[in-house]
Amino acid sequence: MADKEKRRSGVNPPGMPAGKATKSDSDREFLSQAGVGDLLRGAILKMVEARSDDPIGFLADHFCNLASVTAAGLGGCGDEEQVNTGTVSAGAQEQQRLNRALWHLRLAHHSQRSAFSNNVRVAYDLLNLTGPQTCAGEFSEGPDGPCTDSPAGGGGVRGGLYTQTLQCLCSEGGVPASTSAPLLRRLHCHDHEAVPYDVFRHGVLTCAVFSDYIRQAQRLYAEVCCPGEGTASRALCMAVLGTLKEALETSQGSDSNYCANANTKVNSCPEANVKAIRYLEASAKISPCKLAQAMAGAQTRGPGGNMDAKEFENAAAELFITRVKVVS
Amino acid sequence: SRMNRLNPTVPADQYLADSNVLFYLNDAVIQLLEHKEEYNQFGVIRYFAEYFSSVKNSNHVLFREFNYIQATPHNRASFIRVFWKCYRQIGKSGDLLSMLEYRSLLQLLCPDFPVVLVQSAARIAVMDDTIDCLMSFSDFLYAFQLQFYYQEFLDCVLVIYQDLLAGKSPNTVIVPTSTSIEQIPSVSTEENNKEERPQDGVEPSTLVECIDALCDRSKHSHPPRSCMREILKQTDRISYYSFLMSLAKQEAINQTIGVLPSKAELLIDPEMDQELDKLIAQIVVSPSSNSSSSAVGGLKEVQKKASPRRNIHHRRRMEVESDGSTEETDSSEN
Repeated sequence: MADKEKRRSGVNPPGMPAGKATKSDSDREFLSQAGVGDLLRGAILKMVEARSDDPIGFLADHFCNLASVTAAGLGGCGDEEQVNTGTVSAGAQEQQRLNRALWHLRLAHHSQRSAFSNNVRVAYDLLNLTGPQTCAGEFSEGPDGPCTDSPAGGGGVRGGLYTQTLQCLCSEGGVPASTSAPLLRRLHCHDHEAVPYDVFRHGVLTCAVFSDYIRQAQRLYAEVCCPGEGTASRALCMAVLGTLKEALETSQGSDSNYCANANTKVNSCPEANVKAIRYLEASAKISPCKLAQAMAGAQTRGPGGNMDAKEFENAAAELFITRVKVVS
Repeated sequence: SRMNRLNPTVPADQYLADSNVLFYLNDAVIQLLEHKEEYNQFGVIRYFAEYFSSVKNSNHVLFREFNYIQATPHNRASFIRVFWKCYRQIGKSGDLLSMLEYRSLLQLLCPDFPVVLVQSAARIAVMDDTIDCLMSFSDFLYAFQLQFYYQEFLDCVLVIYQDLLAGKSPNTVIVPTSTSIEQIPSVSTEENNKEERPQDGVEPSTLVECIDALCDRSKHSHPPRSCMREILKQTDRISYYSFLMSLAKQEAINQTIGVLPSKAELLIDPEMDQELDKLIAQIVVSPSSNSSSSAVGGLKEVQKKASPRRNIHHRRRMEVESDGSTEETDSSEN
């Protein structure tokens, strides 16, 4: 850090208003000419929409992304522009598209449902931008490549890209590969398959919810953990997992299609009310007081020994994953 | 603020206020206007990308004015980290420095860094007011971290402490909403002059109560309550500075702030050592070279004319030449 020279340098010391009155006009002109107002307004809107945990990091990524897009001569940050096919190799191009798609997916938390859905759509379209010539080239590995479909849209995101997207989402969400692997197996599409939008959206959403869920599970373990010691008692962990399971079962009810999570919003279907009540019941089941009851009970009976963080995480992950239907 | 994401009901303006983003945007625009000719060439988007990347990476506080580095918790933490990274070598060589020498080091990074804060930190580190009392880098660093990061909170605790000492009932203790740092040294010097004996100080249980109440209404960040309770549980009487000294040594507080490693690992960083060696070699070879081609690209050019460059050379020279003798540090200021 010491080595990095700072641009931050040249500020006037406070109390040195360098001719404010005369400067302000030219300053204003400069800002409007450079489009700073629009740039910042856009950034703030995106940020508020996304409600990122790390607003500074979000803005850094946002501006870097804009800068790289403009630097690549793509003109602005519009989402629909075609990727420049000039000198970039097809592989690099694909990587670039994947990065941009992931960037869009990161923009809004999945609980911001309409913003998230828009971003999923944008990401899907970006990944689906496989032009006919690229498609005919190195990309069609399978017996029936996706490029046999419509030329413009590519007929769907290729399975390989879809899988890569989900892997990135999970690892960015802080989920170890070993924990996410069973989930990804359930959501898996073959590399040569063309993944339709619905499947893509389901996969992305499930991974996003799963990442949140695992983070919460990790936090839960940290709570159960004795301070100072690295591990938690097995009895307590089992009690917590049992409570979690019960809650998941309640929230899911008879409808087995959706990943159960308190964050999952209710769709606009006729039984919306029934679902809402079920979610309420489920959250009551995992409430602090219920949990405390279960843990108090477990302390007296239940197995001895400890459970480490990874085992707990795996067990919690399994509760989630068994409720995700297999994509075939 | 960690839970913002899981709590979508936070209104937009609340979210913005919590994030301090408007503060940074405002500063970014002011900086941009200061250097508009240069930045204009590379585009404002690139400029904002650089600005926020440096804020994110905690590189943004170096050579900035004190008002900036203390403006947000993130800035404070970043400055503590920068201080540690820049002067780790001093800790490594085992040198003991005086308060004035630490002040000089701090002012190389932040020219208008107020001496009162350094004084308070030194007092926490050694519980001694004598001006040439020497202290190790790590003792000073953790004390400085506590003092600088929790400045406002500690000021309030001091006021409470003095009221308790004076025998006022805790219920009537009024905590000022804002204290200026100027008023601290005089009061505490006075207190120090009274020659603290072990039985001096206040009843820890009363202090805990008052601090709890303070935490409830204070909008400034404070050390985890459990840490403070833990320390106050251990003695019959406690003085302000022995309380702070114990706080400074709490690893849990260090982790809460989250920028420094634990004391055991404070001086281990082979990567940094290598980088430093390279840099020092570079500067010894070509003291006037300005270069460095990084992602920042042309933006770096701008720094050429800014005064902090002088500081960088200055510091390097000091590190290269002095190696233990601290005379130069002393004279390097003013």
